Amino acid sequence: MAEEFEPKIVAFLCKWCSSAGSDLAGVSRMEYPPNVVPIQVMCSGSVSPLYVLSAFNKGADGVLVSGCHPGDCHYIKGNFYARRRIALVKRLLDFIGLEPQRFQMSWVSAAEGTKYTQIIKDFVQELKPLGPQTKLRRDL
Amino acid sequence: MVNLEDLKKEAKTVLEEGKVKYIIGYEKSANGLMPVPGFIKSPEEVEKLIWTPACVYNLTKFLVDEKRRKSREKKPDERPVGLVVKGCDSRALVVLLQEKFINRDDVFIIGVSCEETGVIDEKKLIKKLKGKKAEKIEFDEKDNFIVTTQEGKVKIAASEVLAERCLECKANSPVIYDVLLGEKAKRSVDNPFQSLEKIESLPERERWKFWKEQLSKCIRCYACRSVCPMCYCDECVADTINFAVTADTTAEEKAQKIKWLEKSPVKSENFVYHLVRAIHLAGRCIDCGECERVCPLDIPIRFLNKKLEKDAKELFDYEAGFDPEQPSLVSSFKDEDPEDFIR
Amino acid sequence: MEKVLDKKSFPQWVKKLSSYTVYAPVQEDEVWNYEVITNPEQVNLDFPNTVLSPKKIIFPQREVYLEFSASNEDGLEVKEVLPEEEPSVIFGVRPCDARALTLTDKVFGGDFEDIYYWKRRNQVALVGLACHTPPSPNCFCLSVDGSPFSKEGLDVLMSDLGSKYFVEAFSKKGEQLINPAKTLFKPPTEKDKKELDKNRTEAKKRISRQIQNIKKIPPKLKGMFDSSLWDEESMSCLRCGICTYLCPTCHCFDINDEIFSSSPLSGKRIRTWDNCQFPDFTMHSSGHNPRQGKASRLRQRIMHKFQYFVERYKNYQCTGCGRCISRCPVGIDIIEVLDKVSSYEG
Repeated sequence: MAEEFEPKIVAFLCKWCSSAGSDLAGVSRMEYPPNVVPIQVMCSGSVSPLYVLSAFNKGADGVLVSGCHPGDCHYIKGNFYARRRIALVKRLLDFIGLEPQRFQMSWVSAAEGTKYTQIIKDFVQELKPLGPQTKLRRDL
Repeated sequence: MVNLEDLKKEAKTVLEEGKVKYIIGYEKSANGLMPVPGFIKSPEEVEKLIWTPACVYNLTKFLVDEKRRKSREKKPDERPVGLVVKGCDSRALVVLLQEKFINRDDVFIIGVSCEETGVIDEKKLIKKLKGKKAEKIEFDEKDNFIVTTQEGKVKIAASEVLAERCLECKANSPVIYDVLLGEKAKRSVDNPFQSLEKIESLPERERWKFWKEQLSKCIRCYACRSVCPMCYCDECVADTINFAVTADTTAEEKAQKIKWLEKSPVKSENFVYHLVRAIHLAGRCIDCGECERVCPLDIPIRFLNKKLEKDAKELFDYEAGFDPEQPSLVSSFKDEDPEDFIR
Repeated sequence: MEKVLDKKSFPQWVKKLSSYTVYAPVQEDEVWNYEVITNPEQVNLDFPNTVLSPKKIIFPQREVYLEFSASNEDGLEVKEVLPEEEPSVIFGVRPCDARALTLTDKVFGGDFEDIYYWKRRNQVALVGLACHTPPSPNCFCLSVDGSPFSKEGLDVLMSDLGSKYFVEAFSKKGEQLINPAKTLFKPPTEKDKKELDKNRTEAKKRISRQIQNIKKIPPKLKGMFDSSLWDEESMSCLRCGICTYLCPTCHCFDINDEIFSSSPLSGKRIRTWDNCQFPDFTMHSSGHNPRQGKASRLRQRIMHKFQYFVERYKNYQCTGCGRCISRCPVGIDIIEVLDKVSSYEG
């Protein structure tokens, strides 16, 4: 029997909230799928669309950008900028025909270890039926 | 209709008064129909200026060169540059002003109104003329152009040969100017996103097929980047050397530098290039359509920008190139920005 | 070998060449380009000019040199990649584009033979199509030692005679193309030959554009390195790569290691076209670029084609196809630039 497809998710997590949230999930020994490659960034607002495109280019099956809840940003408003920018990127990727499920954004606070695990669980479940992402993957 | 003699007169006056360094306008070319960008330095040269439906170029681009040239001069001439702009071009100017890339004092804007019409798509005209070579094209009363071929003059309805961008134009006459030639008229446009919606309405699989075929054709000549007045970055992610190297940059630093995309013109790398280009123009593109016009492979890249233009309007009620004072799309936000897509 | 072929029999000829990979101009929207043909009926020789010349087949924009991977503990495993050697034929080659290949032959041949280029070049047969009417209003082949029915570089030349083609084979490769379909070809009549001559005389007359005093240009250019003409002529240049990428004779390339995966390391060493109009061309590793502005880049394009190449190979590195003129986004016209060089004083 063929092995079940295990999607690879690249998650850009902000240092102050989402990354701390994922740490909380870790130290609390919460179980969630090991499909995520977390990349800590200083703020969700520092995630350039180029990072997202590059992740897909280098073979990510899904990309997550996660930041602090509105109002909680360590830099006051970085996540508001992210919200705008990601909305545009998401629509553009949808427009060129990438499955919309492959690119997600979330708000995860440092206390929301449980929410983080749930987001990852859901993301993995949504990506599995889609199979590997080949559309934007490097075809050198 | 804009009277060419009026345009020449205005140009002559400012040159004679020494108000401007030189004027960037449309100049008759020795080779047929299409004009060339002209750099008019003296009142005598004003005679070279023309204004026809073939004046497609967005001359705002040349302000980027001018700024670079000026920055290299030890004692630069501080007078402004005269610039002939159409409605769409003037919106590009507004964005450059908004971004403080240029100062209002650096440019003397000679606005020309397209009034009820616009500029041609050369390919459409060639097709329409079925082998006859157009030597000259002029505006006519109402919505017509008069084309002179070797076999005489023909009248063509403007709507048949207008560039796609003109059919969806939001500013037929300049939104910013020092002098304005022609009427402040506006052709009614029902839906400025009509052509885009044809692609949007395709199912996901078809959309992917469309873009895969189109962008795979790209040979990465970067004409779309080069012609864009907003593409003024000193460094571009698309170039192999995309960062400032100085004498102090170590070999290690050079080796460690991220290569965002490879030079191979293959599908995946072409997508990175074109998507980055589109995103970088979000809230900045004013749909002058030059990127699409210059593409030697006829890739409809304008749609990528158009899509972002539409989204900016729908999601954030943002329109580029009308107000130099408004904060830019991606460096501003509103509390009520949509977040229904966020988990 | 001189023959005539009924136009109706042309698809049958193509059908007989099943052992070859067949390329011919294919139209997509308004753009023509050489593509692999699977259905002989598909071949349409009624085309203006292709966007890219057949250079793109023999010297493709992307060529893999070698593949590497860190698959064993000792280090890298490196595998050489060479183009597949398969006989191919390109139909509808314009005489200027065929001549252009004779120029790139000089560059990739000589003391050092570029095996990637020659593996393809040796396998390809070029079937030309004489230009009865100029395929572009900017054709100027006559000015640069070419002609609309030049046979240089071609294996076969087809000339349109209305209902039939006049077919000439100049090489063994060319004859081998005709042999499998011998029965389709007939010997030409005197009338055919007369008509061909008439067509050719007319074809020459139809080319309206020309460079004045071309012979004087190479020596003239020699003293114009520091001329202000380049600043003036390049004012409107956008620094895009259209003129050079579309040129059938431009041949500069770049070599990069392109990484597919960094851990474990795997990738390919790749040659791609490069372009003297780009900002990173001639960039030194110090960050200094001796060709700073666009004037020096335009100068390079003109000098390379009409001075350096002439000095080295005794040919202009231009065959007059007119692509750079037709496709320049701002109407920079190489003929006008050269005319200004001719009349330049100072």
